[in-house]
Amino acid sequence: MKVKPDRTLDCVGLYCPEPVFKTRLELDELKVGEVLEVLADDPAAESDIRSLVKNLEQELVDVTKEGSAVRILIRKIR
Amino acid sequence: MSISWKGNWMSVKKKKILYVQTSGTDTPERAYAPFILATTAAMMNVDATVYFVIKGITLVKKGEAEKIKIGSFPSLREVMDQAIKAGVKLAVCEQSCGLMGIPRGDFTKEAQIVGAATLNDLALSADAVLCF
Repeated sequence: MKVKPDRTLDCVGLYCPEPVFKTRLELDELKVGEVLEVLADDPAAESDIRSLVKNLEQELVDVTKEGSAVRILIRKIR
Repeated sequence: MSISWKGNWMSVKKKKILYVQTSGTDTPERAYAPFILATTAAMMNVDATVYFVIKGITLVKKGEAEKIKIGSFPSLREVMDQAIKAGVKLAVCEQSCGLMGIPRGDFTKEAQIVGAATLNDLALSADAVLCF
């Protein structure tokens, strides 16, 4: 089943640590149960956002690579 | 960018990282990393403290961070303010003030003057310590 994001955060063109900061701040704005889509092309972003989501104990729903960019879906579960 | 801190939705006990900054204004390229890492730690819901010791205290002397700007980075003051907004704690070694000849009241207002026992205790109670 396709997960439809409630919000999209475009971090394309941003470099470490901005995608992490912005993702964290955007997650703060989400309601529990909502899904955030993050788009990023920083080569460090995928690994960094995975670490962020793990430490915040949120749910990593999906990671897909689209060329040099990555699309990450995160569900706020707490 | 501005950070509004709303980090209160975690149930687990926070982990702690202590960053020890020994490098000062004479090596500005070494100035940024502790602030950026500590801010990122705060974003990851990790409790972050930067302890300034020896020459490191020159970075938090009033007016100095404003003068440091390297490459495409923002000024050190901007990076420091971002860290403070994110909840990073700043501690200045009391003995280093005498060593470097900087009066105790001459630091950025967010930095707390603390002693040797505090540094030891911060290190003992942290889950990780990084030195710069």
